[in-house]
Amino acid sequence: MPEGFERGLLARITRTVGEHYRIIHANPLSRIGFWVVSVFTIVAIFAPWLAPHEPWAMQYDSEGSIASLRPPSLEFPVGTTHLGYDLFSQLILATRTTLIIGAVSGFISIVIGANIGLVAGYYGGKIDEILMRLTDVLYGMPFLPFIIILIALFGRKLEFVILAIVLIIWRTSARVIRAQTIAIKQRQFITAAKARGCSNLRIIYRHILPNVLPLLLLYAAFNIAWSIITEASASFLGFGDGTTISWGGMLYELWLSGKTRVAWWWFAAPSLCIITLVTSLVFVSRAYEEVANPRLRKR
Amino acid sequence: MLEYVLRRLLYMLITIFAVASILFVIFRLLPGEATLQVISPAMDEAVQERMKAAFGLDKPLLQQYFIYLKNLVSLEWGRSFVSARRVIDILEYRFWNTVLLMAAGMCMTLMLGVGIGMVMAWKRNGPIDIIGTVTGLIFQAAPPFVTGLLLLMVLSYRLGLFPTGGMYPPGQRPDGVLELLFMPEFWHRIVLPTITVGLYYITTPMLIMRDSMLEVLGSDFIELAKAKGLKPRVVMIKHAARNALLAVVTLASIMVGFAIGGQVVVEALFSWPGMGQLMVESAASHDYPVAQGTFLMLAILVISLNFLTDVWYCYLDPRIKISASGLN
Repeated sequence: MPEGFERGLLARITRTVGEHYRIIHANPLSRIGFWVVSVFTIVAIFAPWLAPHEPWAMQYDSEGSIASLRPPSLEFPVGTTHLGYDLFSQLILATRTTLIIGAVSGFISIVIGANIGLVAGYYGGKIDEILMRLTDVLYGMPFLPFIIILIALFGRKLEFVILAIVLIIWRTSARVIRAQTIAIKQRQFITAAKARGCSNLRIIYRHILPNVLPLLLLYAAFNIAWSIITEASASFLGFGDGTTISWGGMLYELWLSGKTRVAWWWFAAPSLCIITLVTSLVFVSRAYEEVANPRLRKR
Repeated sequence: MLEYVLRRLLYMLITIFAVASILFVIFRLLPGEATLQVISPAMDEAVQERMKAAFGLDKPLLQQYFIYLKNLVSLEWGRSFVSARRVIDILEYRFWNTVLLMAAGMCMTLMLGVGIGMVMAWKRNGPIDIIGTVTGLIFQAAPPFVTGLLLLMVLSYRLGLFPTGGMYPPGQRPDGVLELLFMPEFWHRIVLPTITVGLYYITTPMLIMRDSMLEVLGSDFIELAKAKGLKPRVVMIKHAARNALLAVVTLASIMVGFAIGGQVVVEALFSWPGMGQLMVESAASHDYPVAQGTFLMLAILVISLNFLTDVWYCYLDPRIKISASGLN
């Protein structure tokens, strides 16, 4: 690869990253959200090194008895479970599971949703009709029950949770991006590109895609947030991956143990993590909402 | 209008048919025996064979598919592995319990959401506006089981104000929906699940109402109404809110789709004997006929509600009708 190309690519990436950094930093709420999400990401990456204990290892206190149902203390910052597991370690390791699920299903679903929306909106006619009827069918699918059915049939595995989420969640982004594509398609620069003899694919990906990008990123953030809430709900009902720890799974264990009456810390820690992360994602998305819909800026 | 409604009705039937077909495919993709769907593996080998023939499971797949569709239409949805009762009978009882809770939750969401959103826009940037936005965003981010657990822990366990679950006291099962509605215990028990469902969905209608209100408040006819010397309350409710409501209705159909998910969690959490709880229980105990029937019933509920909101929207905003028929 010629050196100049590489430098050009690097410059372009730096410019794009810088641009998005500016978009997010223009809005104070988005700025807070961005930093919170970054902290969670760092925790997720370094989780195995940050967690002081094994997630499912019984802890003992200095007197040698099992540290069961201890409220938060210096030794156990967020307390322990009825079996003496360290909740702080569980919380850190669960961050990784949650972020993997959120990032993977958010990414795949937005790729599917964007492509279906772009193709349906650009070509119109029969293709549009078929793709939108397909989207309608998915709107008829109850989301969480669909995950429950898939997990019950195929087993409690992370892949199936992600698969089930991805199969349904792209529907909203497809509809929204289709509508935007139809609006952009009628603009003059598209006609000009056609007159120059650009291929359909080139028009879709080089001319229309950059214009729907803010909307796409907005829905990517939404999809990640929805995936996280949905995974947590499925795990809470006992339909998550049984071998990896997740925030919803921690609350499921609490519910199963029947210690809801006493162990407030066991409830508070994973709940606060879910709420903080999802709220931050929504805050970040607000920056793109303003770019995608400039009328909002006045408010 | 009629043409539009009929076309939506046709789409609705096609969608139900498509969902049923997808369900058929998913259950056939099952690792191992495809017959698990109707025949419990716990049964005797010879009995299993006999049942296979009885259910037509020894026939080719395409023929099985037609039998499946025929059974769906004639409401032959199989029997539960666990209780041996007919799935359709189990569902009939559960269906109304779900609808009751959903209706209560939706009423609370829409009334409170629209009301608060209206006031937020009227007193824009005031304390109500800011508190409303922040708490709204937090409740939207809190999955329903978090809110529900919190309510249970504080109001039920600590303060003892509400029962922890169920729909009526143990051993006092009412004979019908009407008798249920006259039980004070029922109303006592529906409070917490309703608040939980309501709080989860309140944010969207609230914020949409606020934004839509702000837009309406900027228009000339509001200025005129104020200039006429009408009371602010009258302008807010009769002139502005009425016009702003349309945006909330558009959203109702999207909310309905999500509402089912929250419903499942809340029913499981509060042991509410509805379809959501049945879904969780039957899937966990691998009671496939019940799981399949419940899923289909939930899907039909979602699809019909989508249909109803579409029609309602068309009634409120006749422009939809014109653009819809203009498309084809």
